[in-house]
Parts: sequence; C-alpha cells; structure tokens
Amino acid sequence: MDLSTGTFYLFLTLVWYPGKQILLLQIVVMTDLLERISTCVEFGKVDIKSPYPPAMKGQEGAFELTRHALDKGVSPGDILEEALIPAMSRVGQKFSRNEIFVPQMLMAAKAMSSSMTHIKPYYLSGETKRRGTFIIGTVRGDLHDIGKNLVSMMIEGAGWEIVDLGVDVSTEKFIEAIEQHPGAVIGLSALLTTTMENMRKSAADLRKKFPDLKILVGGAPVTEEFCRKIGADFYSPDPQGAVEYLKTLS
Amino acid sequence: MRVSYPYKDLLPGIDALAGVMGYKSGTAPEPVTDLIAELSEELLTNGEARAEYTIFNHVRLDKVSRTLGVEGVVFNVKPIVFSQLKHAEGAALFICTAGQEVGMRSRRSMREGDLLRGYVYDVLGSEIAEGAADKMQEALRAAAATTGMSITNRFSPGYCGWDVAEQHKLFSFFPDNYCGITLTDSALMNPVKSVSGIIGVGRNVKYEPYRCRQCDDKNCIYRGRKT
Ligand code: B12
Repeated sequence: MDLSTGTFYLFLTLVWYPGKQILLLQIVVMTDLLERISTCVEFGKVDIKSPYPPAMKGQEGAFELTRHALDKGVSPGDILEEALIPAMSRVGQKFSRNEIFVPQMLMAAKAMSSSMTHIKPYYLSGETKRRGTFIIGTVRGDLHDIGKNLVSMMIEGAGWEIVDLGVDVSTEKFIEAIEQHPGAVIGLSALLTTTMENMRKSAADLRKKFPDLKILVGGAPVTEEFCRKIGADFYSPDPQGAVEYLKTLS
Repeated sequence: MRVSYPYKDLLPGIDALAGVMGYKSGTAPEPVTDLIAELSEELLTNGEARAEYTIFNHVRLDKVSRTLGVEGVVFNVKPIVFSQLKHAEGAALFICTAGQEVGMRSRRSMREGDLLRGYVYDVLGSEIAEGAADKMQEALRAAAATTGMSITNRFSPGYCGWDVAEQHKLFSFFPDNYCGITLTDSALMNPVKSVSGIIGVGRNVKYEPYRCRQCDDKNCIYRGRKT
C-alpha cells in the first residue's frame, strides 16, 4: 500500500468540502491512522527503529501510530476491530495460502503486540472487551509447543484472551482452567500418534464434565476424521481455520 | 559406535535453512535471513550433536507378517519399510540428538516473547538433528563398504506407516540415558531434537529414495527428498 494515499485524500477532501473541513479532517485522519497501523502489523513494522520493511524504513511503526491514534481519541476498540484484527486476518489467510511462512506470521505478531502494549490497559479497566477466552495446551505426554504457540498468537490477534497452559497438560489442568474461565473455548494440540490417544481421553473427559464446551483440536497427525471420532467440535490444519471458526462463536 | 559432530559441520547455508521454513531461494525477508545468520553463527561455536549406532549382524525377516526380528525383539515395521529392508542380513539401530542446548534457547526466546527467534532456533535444532543423522548414516555406509556390505536408507518409527510406539522396542537395545536421550511413555524422545531408527545392512540391499508415493502423509519432511 502507498502510505501517501491517505494524506492525498485528505487534501482533496478539504478542497471539495470547504464548509465541513473540521469534521472530515478528523474522520480522514482516523482512517488514515487505522490503515497505517493495519499495514504496519501486516508487514511486521514494529516501531520507528525497525528497518523492515525497507519501504517503511525511518517511518513510525505500529507502536507509535497506536499511541497517536489513542491520543487523537480513536477508541481502543476501533483500533482492534478496524486495524489489528483485520491485519492479522490477512496474515492468517496469506499463511493458509502459502504466500507467507511462519517467520512473517511471527513478525506480524510482534508488531501487533507492540500495538497491544497501549491497548492492554483498556482491557484491564474493562473499557475494551475481548471476544472471549481461549484456553490452549499441548496434551499429556507431549512436549511440542511451536504449533500451539502459533495458534495462540493468531487467536490473540483475533481479539481473544489466551490462557496458555503449556505442554504436557493433564485433563485435570484443563478442567481447572475451564472452571476459572466459564464460557471459554478450548484448544488441544498433539504432535504424535501416541499422544493423540491422550487427546482422545482429554476430549472425552472434558465433554463429560462440560457438555456445551467447544473443543478445537490440531497438530500434524490430527485429522478431521479423528476430530469427529473423539467428539471434538472442530479441527483445523492451521491457525486461520481456528480463527474463522471462533468468529462464528463470538 | 559413538560419533559426535560439532554443530558447525551440520548446519546448511542460510538459503537452505530459509528453504526449510518454506521460502524459495532468495525470497526470504531480510530480518529472517539476518536472524538465521546470527543464530547459526552463535550455535556454530556452541555445541555438538551426538549419534550412536549399534550393528547387529543378523536379523530375521518374516515375509508373511512383514516384521523384522533383532535378537528376539520383533519390529512390526509395516509394508513400506519392510519392502526396503527385506534383503538385509543385518541392521544398525541408531539414535541421534542435537542435545538440549538449542531447544532450551528456543524455549527461552519464546518465553521472553521473541517468537521469531524461538522459531529460528527450533528450525536450526531440527536441521542439526537431521544433519547428524545424515553424517551418521554416511559413516555407517563407509564402515559397511569396507566389508563389502551396502546399506539401505534410514527409517524411523512414526514414519512410513511404522508406529511411533515401536520406539520403546528400539530403546530396549540401548542403556538408559544413552546418548543423553530418554524416552517418555508416549514414545517422545527428550531432548526433542532427536531422531531414532533403523538402517538395513547387507550385500544385496539397495539405498533407495523414500517411497513417498506409497504413503499418504503429505506433510512428511522426507517427502520428495532426492536422497
Ligand atoms: C521438524 C520435524 C522433526 C524435527 C524436530 C522435532 C520437533 N518436534 O521439534 C526432528 C527431525 C528432530 C523430528 C524428530 C521426530 N519426528 Co518429527 N516432524 C517434524 C515435522 C516435519 C515438522 C514439525 C514442526 O515443527 N512443524 C511446524 C509447526 C509450526 O507445525 P505444527 O506443530 O504441526 O503446528 C501447526 C498445525 O499442526 C496447527 N496446530 C498445532 N496445534 C494445534 C492446535 C489447535 C487447536 C489447532 C486448531 C491447530 C493446531 O497449527 C500450527 C501452525 O500451522 C513433522 C511433520 C509435519 N510436517 O508437521 C514431523 C512429525 C511431527 N515427526 C514425527 C515423528 C514420528 C518423529 C520422530 C518420532 C521420528 C523418530 N523416530 O525419530 C522423532 C521424534 C522426536 C522426539 N523428540 O521424540 C511425526 C509424528 C506423527 C507420528 N507418527 O507419531 C510427524 C508428524 C511426521 C510424520 N510421520 O507424519 N521431527
């Protein structure tokens, strides 16, 4: 995207609508800022010091622009909904289509989290709400965490609070977390066929205790068919599928 | 036979490592190639991968059950692996590991919130483990050649239809903590960056590429590999 477009648009608007200058100026500046934040997140431009992407070198990044937006009165909810979440969604879609790979997804996440440092206080004060809580863990007996971390990060980018229980998580630990976060959705990850057996057990026990719980499953050897067999609600081979599914719940 | 390899002999170049992450040659963004370069450089001076193999001169191959017996332990290797091992007279059982260090660095970076760094360490760790297995295999090939023997490709429980739980049988041949590796009940090796398996040895075995067309695992790292 050409970042000068926003400014150009502002100039034209002023010429065409002289009587409504102030109001339009405000709206245009906001959209421009939100678009710029969104672009920064999508391409992993963290802050003014980040040399990447080269076309944005020396320019402000997600960190500074989010601060400006809040200072100009843009609500944190709008920053999330109109800039951050759409950016991460584009990133997830590009990843699903193999147009970008894990490193670029992580770069985007870093830019997103620099923006979130300004937004988190509004979550704490209750002024901005998350879409829901997502509890995730790698099942008992399994120590793999890269895949789980990627999924957490993209779901956080979709506006959810993440409770990451880590690796080698027992069913009891999952139950405890669900009790602490009523209404949460749960994600189970497993990377070995042997630990898929533990996934099956955990899913069964969780279903028994929480009949309405939504259970998502994933990990290299997991399949749609396995998901159905163990009575989980949704399987996705990548984080974006999970994000799309969660959208239908919130 | 115990061998160890300094990391520096195991890491391929930046372009190849970016390739493992999915990038076609020359297309990886600069922060990624920079980080690969930085962390490879850091690891070069920082560690050693270990590999061990034990050769058993006699194995029993049962064409009906498609199993392979080594000193009374019967491996249910399944058809794809069996077809490649069926002419073996003996076999080498092996394990290789990149060690704890690289995995620890990966987890530390992740915990500190630097996911990209954590991920690059993770990929380097996998490549080191695989690289050690390649070197070990080459050492075995050379050793076998001196007695007029050839070797097959290497096969790991969990690949080509062979159940990962059979790692327990494999580990029954190794003393505890062999090579610094322990096996959990769920057949996961710790350190995670480890590889285990079997290589057939014999006068009439052939080294063949993996039979990926017979396998439906589209995600496998060995899929389409030339060697
Ligand atoms: C790199 C790799 C290795 C490396 C590093 C291992 C490591 N764990 O770090 C090395 C070479 C060391 C290795 C060794 C082995 N490996 Co290996 N390895 C892989 C490989 C190629 C990639 C794993 C990876 O890092 N992927 C990248 C991450 C980001 O992906 P991911 O974890 O799958 O997560 C993604 C999705 O699955 C999904 N996801 C994950 N969790 C969740 C959760 C939810 C809720 C959702 C919605 C989505 C989701 O989203 C993530 C992002 O896209 C996979 C095959 C594959 N293509 O996946 C085999 C694979 C995991 N390995 C396998 C096996 C068997 C082994 C060995 C046991 C072989 C052996 N006998 O030596 C050993 C085990 C090592 C050990 N410690 O015990 C099997 C496991 C399946 C099985 N048969 O049990 C696999 C699946 C290959 C296969 N045969 O199909 N391996």
